Amino acid sequence: MSRRHIRNILLKEWVLLFTDPNSALVILLLPFLVVGQGILYIWLAFRFAGDSMLTTQVFQTALQKLVAAVPGVAQLPGNEQLLVLLLSQFTFFLLLIPTMIAMTVSTFSIVDEKLSGSLEALLATPVKTWELLLGKALAGAIPALVMTWISGGVLLLVVSAMGWGDITGFVVTPGWFLTLFLLTPAVAILSFMLGVTGSSRARDPRGAQNTALLIIFPVLALIGIQVTGIVWFTPMLILLLALVIGIADFVSLRAAVRLFRRESIIVQWR
Amino acid sequence: MAIIETFNLSRNFGKNIAVEDLTLTVEAGEILGFLGPNGAGKTTTIRMLAGMIAPTKGYAIVAGHRTDRDVEQLHEVIGILTETPGFYSRLSAKRNLEYFAGFYSSIQSPSEQVEKYLKLVRLWERCNDRVGTFSKGMKHRLALVRALLHEPKVLFLDEPTAGLDPEAATEVREMIRRLGEEGHTIFLSTHNLNEAEMLCNRIAVLHTRLLALDTPEQLRRRFFRRQIIVQLEASDAKVTDVVKGLPFVQEVREEGNQLVLELTDSERNRPELVKAIVEAGGRVITVSEKQYPLEEVYLRLIREEEGNES
Repeated sequence: MSRRHIRNILLKEWVLLFTDPNSALVILLLPFLVVGQGILYIWLAFRFAGDSMLTTQVFQTALQKLVAAVPGVAQLPGNEQLLVLLLSQFTFFLLLIPTMIAMTVSTFSIVDEKLSGSLEALLATPVKTWELLLGKALAGAIPALVMTWISGGVLLLVVSAMGWGDITGFVVTPGWFLTLFLLTPAVAILSFMLGVTGSSRARDPRGAQNTALLIIFPVLALIGIQVTGIVWFTPMLILLLALVIGIADFVSLRAAVRLFRRESIIVQWR
Repeated sequence: MAIIETFNLSRNFGKNIAVEDLTLTVEAGEILGFLGPNGAGKTTTIRMLAGMIAPTKGYAIVAGHRTDRDVEQLHEVIGILTETPGFYSRLSAKRNLEYFAGFYSSIQSPSEQVEKYLKLVRLWERCNDRVGTFSKGMKHRLALVRALLHEPKVLFLDEPTAGLDPEAATEVREMIRRLGEEGHTIFLSTHNLNEAEMLCNRIAVLHTRLLALDTPEQLRRRFFRRQIIVQLEASDAKVTDVVKGLPFVQEVREEGNQLVLELTDSERNRPELVKAIVEAGGRVITVSEKQYPLEEVYLRLIREEEGNES
């Protein structure tokens, strides 16, 4: 029964999502803006700064850790080492895609229903709170995830088209796959769970948006750690991180159910 | 057989008492009118009976389910029409209803069920139109369909005609009447006393506490004695004297060409009364019973209660 309920929520949410021009635009356009911007910055760094960037302390530390993880990089010329470093770091930037989509899409998912009055009717059906919240989170997380994977593919195609195809072998490592296919889903679900939870607690769309801002900080922290070379995320570390975030997904669902106050939604929202 | 039973059902919001010690029983197939002023606790009661909020004291059993414990099973067998008929305005009427139907295990084919009910309320032609384009009356009918899709044992209707134009309100009332004839148990909260009298078998008056629960007729009896009105062609002192002398006449009052009487037995004494009037030379045009509007009963109940409070 739960599967039927969640599927029902997913299908309805997707129709609503893709018939709303703003949401559809965010989901379909934002990933390419992130990838485009990333490629532009990498090209600018490669073209104008070149391997002189590697002389800075931050990049040196990061490069040492990259070489330790992928020893073959040490054989490459300096500017190509820089490219591999920047492209490897960019993988974590892809985590911004589901997070940013969650910020804009999931934050309205419950608030909108509260305001339209449909939530009271929905809560009078046999739907369980966890089914409703998970359904809403997945409805946003799945398209966001698909768009992140497409963006990862587009990134590789553009890199090859720019004549950097030879170095993709150093970028597309087990770590790359683990990031895209294990860490990104875990982050996507967490982002949307947090967004939906914020939405269920907020009294109006503005309150929901303010709460949503908090979603992005953990991802920015991860990117910061990776870029500064404080920690280089090896496949084992990524696996561990995905596992921790996966557990956080379950915890956040349980917390979301506890924080979802049916009574106050029904009594206080008119 | 009782399908709704409440036992000292109470609900507070902080220090405010919304519903206090409500104990009542509703029989299967009955339409119960639930009357009370704004803030009397009608909506709170419906929400407690529909398992949407928990009581602070007491409990209720609806269709065999404790409303504070078996919420999911309860929701399978009840339907509720909330004050605001909230829908997804960008979705079609059909898609909206299919979505809600998809949560009930009793509905095997949501699309067939939706078609059946949309045809019933004559909205099938508009089934693919966005709900955002619907009038308020159409949305109310659609909300009523949503409450009915899973063919619930008990239907809770919270002010189903509030804010509707007379035509739309009549349509909704007609639907409720049909549902009642089909044997649905309906718990109808309304401010419209005529509507309650027209549709309901019994009426409950709530003002935080239950003030009265009975048939409209018995509620009238509580405050007003039965009075017979005899409309004569012309007033006649001789006729009045004859009537006063009848053993079963308790009280007589002349009001123009009318005699207003209280009889020992309003039904059985009527033929003898008419016979006596005619024999005394009186010409009877009509004999009827004085009808006190339910509104007067309701207002007396509320004023009494407010008097007690102050």
